[in-house]
Amino acid sequence: MPDVRCPMCSKPNPSDAATCKSCGARLKPLVPGESPIGGALGRGGDFLLGEEGEPGHGEGGADWLERRRPAADEGGEAEHEALTGGADQSGDQPDWLGRLRPAGAEEDEGPPEGEVPDWLSSGEEGRAQAEAEPATEVPDWLARIRERHEAEAQAQANEPEPAPEEDWLGRLRAEELPPAKPELPPARPGRPPVESVPLAMPKEPVSRPVFREEVFKDDRLFPAPDIGLEPEEESTESPPLPWNPPGDRLTPSRGFGRKPSAGAEMAGDQGEGEKPARRGGLDSAAEPAWLAEAREQADDELPHVPALVGDEGSAPASGSAADVELAPIDLPDWLSELKGAPPQAKPEPEGMGDRLAPATLPSWLEAMRPMETFRPVVEIQPEEEQQVEAAGPLAGLRGVLLAEPVVAMPHPSTAAAARLDVTERQFALGDLLRRLVKEEERESPAAARGKRRLPLVRWAVAVVLILAVILPSFVGGPSFPVPALVPPGLPSLINLVNELPTERPVLLVFDYEPGYSGELEAVAGPLLEHLMLRGLRLATVSTRPSGPPLAERLIQQTGEMHQYTNGEDYLHLGYLPGGPAAVQLFAQDPHLAVAGGFLLPEGTTGATIWQSPVVRGVERLSDFGAVVVIAAGTEIARTWVEQASPMLGETPLVMVLSAGVEPLVRPYYEALDPQVDAILAGLPAAVAYEQANGQPGQARTLWDAFGSGMLVAELSLVLGAIYGLISWLLRPGGG
Amino acid sequence: MIGLNVDLVGIAAVVGLVVLLLVFVFLGRRWPAVFRPIKGFEALGVAIERAVEAGERVHLSLGTGSVTGAEVAPALAGLAVLSRVAAATTMSDRPVVVTAGDGAMAILAQDTLRSAYERVGAGERYQATSGRMLGPTPFSYAAGLPTILATEDVSVHMLMGSFGVEGALAADFGERQGAFVLAGTDDIQTQALLYATAEHPLIGEEVFAGGAYLNVGPLHRASLRTQDVVRMLIIGLILVGTVVRTVMDLL
Amino acid sequence: MRLRLSLVWVAVVIGVGLIVLLGFFVDQPVILDIRRILISWAVLLSAAALVLGLYNLLSVHWHKVSLQERGWPYSALLVLCFLVTLTLGLLFGPDYPVILMLFRYIQVPVEASLMALLAISLTVAGFRLVARHRDLLSLIFAIVAFVVLLGTGPWLVGGGGGAYELVRDLRNWVAQVWAAGGARGMLLGVALGATLTGLRVLLGSDRPYGD
Repeated sequence: MPDVRCPMCSKPNPSDAATCKSCGARLKPLVPGESPIGGALGRGGDFLLGEEGEPGHGEGGADWLERRRPAADEGGEAEHEALTGGADQSGDQPDWLGRLRPAGAEEDEGPPEGEVPDWLSSGEEGRAQAEAEPATEVPDWLARIRERHEAEAQAQANEPEPAPEEDWLGRLRAEELPPAKPELPPARPGRPPVESVPLAMPKEPVSRPVFREEVFKDDRLFPAPDIGLEPEEESTESPPLPWNPPGDRLTPSRGFGRKPSAGAEMAGDQGEGEKPARRGGLDSAAEPAWLAEAREQADDELPHVPALVGDEGSAPASGSAADVELAPIDLPDWLSELKGAPPQAKPEPEGMGDRLAPATLPSWLEAMRPMETFRPVVEIQPEEEQQVEAAGPLAGLRGVLLAEPVVAMPHPSTAAAARLDVTERQFALGDLLRRLVKEEERESPAAARGKRRLPLVRWAVAVVLILAVILPSFVGGPSFPVPALVPPGLPSLINLVNELPTERPVLLVFDYEPGYSGELEAVAGPLLEHLMLRGLRLATVSTRPSGPPLAERLIQQTGEMHQYTNGEDYLHLGYLPGGPAAVQLFAQDPHLAVAGGFLLPEGTTGATIWQSPVVRGVERLSDFGAVVVIAAGTEIARTWVEQASPMLGETPLVMVLSAGVEPLVRPYYEALDPQVDAILAGLPAAVAYEQANGQPGQARTLWDAFGSGMLVAELSLVLGAIYGLISWLLRPGGG
Repeated sequence: MIGLNVDLVGIAAVVGLVVLLLVFVFLGRRWPAVFRPIKGFEALGVAIERAVEAGERVHLSLGTGSVTGAEVAPALAGLAVLSRVAAATTMSDRPVVVTAGDGAMAILAQDTLRSAYERVGAGERYQATSGRMLGPTPFSYAAGLPTILATEDVSVHMLMGSFGVEGALAADFGERQGAFVLAGTDDIQTQALLYATAEHPLIGEEVFAGGAYLNVGPLHRASLRTQDVVRMLIIGLILVGTVVRTVMDLL
Repeated sequence: MRLRLSLVWVAVVIGVGLIVLLGFFVDQPVILDIRRILISWAVLLSAAALVLGLYNLLSVHWHKVSLQERGWPYSALLVLCFLVTLTLGLLFGPDYPVILMLFRYIQVPVEASLMALLAISLTVAGFRLVARHRDLLSLIFAIVAFVVLLGTGPWLVGGGGGAYELVRDLRNWVAQVWAAGGARGMLLGVALGATLTGLRVLLGSDRPYGD
């Protein structure tokens, strides 16, 4: 069978064990008819158990009650032994608690199992018999207990007495107790068996058993601890737990017959409360002397019931008040040892009035709390000092947990709160995170633009290049010799121009930007000169808006010497919009493509431009004597070649190009079926053409500057390559 | 043309290109295209991200070519790149600015920008002045570039259109500004100049590959694959023709 | 409604493009006439777009001047020159002597200066080429450029000698064989790319005119 865990200490126990071997708590509930405790203590434990609704019931009460019932097989002596000074089997428990617990190995000192003590079993008779024969009929087990107590008493006498406010047990001990052996009253006959104690707190009040009153009335009975007893008053409300929750004013502690008022003040009262009118329900005439003395002392000093939870974590004064006033009571030895210093009488707070003494937990009950660590140490303030709840459903009550300061408002954790241990790495990471967040928050100023490095290389090259180009014009040197070699295509071009019919005009296409005018005017100049020398009429056209002005500029420059006149010797057909589409359109139908002329002479308009003597008789592109395309771009040159050449027929097509365009147009010239009849490209060809014409022109003027500039460019290339190679070889890591 | 009323060869060539294009579109789903890396496009993404994060501007130039001419082709390729760049910079403090040397090209740029903004749900951030014409002529366009580069805090300078020699000048302006320069054009002469002046030049037809490398659409990738196939075909035809002609001459 | 409009534009683009393309392959008067008309319309639209582009240019710079953004004085000068030239041209025509004078003495020199700036930039780029790229292709590029320059320009000394002829022949060989051949290949590739780009527009895949 599986092991059973002790409800108190959670230690495993055999399944058939009735009590825990570690703490002695009862593992199995009491069965009706089974005597939980043998002997007087067991009998005494019965009334301690009480009934449902009595203190001792409920969760906590059931637990301590369970513990109070020793296993039947172990006899009722286990607890006696514990009380009489059994070895403290638990290091965490006080000695007296250890003594309370049954010591299984010890000799059974309690009454034999099943034997009901006389004082418990007989009523008046038993009592009388017990009184009559107190000394002669002491059971062995009781005797053993007494002996042990005596021994412990002597040992404790040598121990320093704890502070009275801390050790109620000590106070009990300090009281002078009569050394006489208590005369335990015989058990009353017909005492009903104690029923098992329910664990749960009964919700409905239950009536007291009849025997209880009789118990209280019986002097011989081991008295219940004086906790402000109040005789028979039917409890109409559920009895409180052994430790009444604070604020449970409406649920008066009915433990052992308290008045409601006494129970209501139990949580906060540290005072002794008023003297109860009646105690224990005993008849004053019949009560024993010890009981009367106890009552007197209790009247003077109301026991203090430490609250479970005090204000601000104040530790309750455990045992600050005497739970039990046992001085006048003829207590058994074991109980006399429990009795410590008399409880310190705390000043009775004003206005206590007819209040019952607050409930005081018996010492053994207090000692039998299962978990010391969960027992908060609280200190109950006097009622006047307690704050009054101002909000919520408990407004106006004292001694309640204040919602606002405790619940709603945060409070710093106590010292026992988690203490964060931060490693060095974590601190570094956290600091990094903090700096990153700060960095994001900070508005970083716009990065100041770095001081631009002076382009010294650019300036140097520019200065040298400008000087190289300017110097020949102003200084006259350096002078570069004119090339003796003639470009291969030049003779054919010269022949072509020489063979052009004079009655047909020549179409000049000016398709270059003004920026290229420096080079192209120099290149096209000798050709134009040649055409003018032959007296050929010239018609200009352009697919760029800046073309006609450029045409006018070049013709005026060149024709001034030949006295060419606008409208008679040359005519500007104007601008052809549409780019390549315009070229195709013009090639197909020149009349349709030309919208209006440029710088038309007087008497000539866009509609009559084709009646001009310059272009009279021209209907198609092939009617021109030649088409000369002056272009600086590859694309436009190719466009004219591809769009116009199919429409030219026998009309030659001459390309005057920039030096960079020539490689791409030359295939049209060198093809088997060439589409270009002649090419004039670059300043060297122009210079050669001028030499052939015998007329110095703009090309020769620019030749020296051109040479100087080319020289500077060549030197910069060489120097740059050398510098690059050296830096490449000297880079880190080798070449 | 061959002297027929209908140029069947030309029509067949165009139809063949379209068919090949569509075939590669469908094939691309199963066999994705793998292209050789182009450093310029690879570095472009990082440069744009850096510009967006730094609050600097991206500038795209569509060239100085006209819409009615052959030079519109690289500008159309630039517009495809613009659609991707604009989507990436919509949320930037300084969105992309597009310039062109032609009025119609500037209008196309504005339309592309607006579409890109609306596609990402940022239509309200579109500004018409983000697409503008700097100048009607090539050199006037080039003359207006330094002002844009300096005042607009341009850090990514893209030239993707038809340029003449002024393209080299435009690239040089970007280099002097310290910007990331990616330049491509259809003009061979200008490409040679861009090789010397631009940080990331696009040589040959790489300017038309921008759409495929920037994942504009499946048709762009299919176009690139079609170009590769046709190019290989032409190379084969050239080699065959060279060999045949040489043999005939020898014979 | 918006989706249908975009489909209409796509249909227009495809239809017009097919007609113009067909006109290159089919020699039919009807198609040629339609093609010519469509090209004329395209030219007109291009001119109208030029006007819009100029308006856009003006508005951008006007905005800069009004907000006095960085570089606004240059924008103000541009707006002033623009308005003056436009007014004169509209009033007196493009062949008006003042316009021609502006062209001859302002535009031509400015553009020529930009060309000179290009020459300087290219020279500097040539100087930094090898140091910047540090690869074999850059070195070959620099060597070829040097040979071409040497073979094109005049020599200070020994201009008519055998070395000059050798270099000149080398230059012609490099330029007309290698450069031309490579350029031809690149032109083929460019032509293919341009063709496929146009086909994407004809197929409606690329919509530069917006969605």
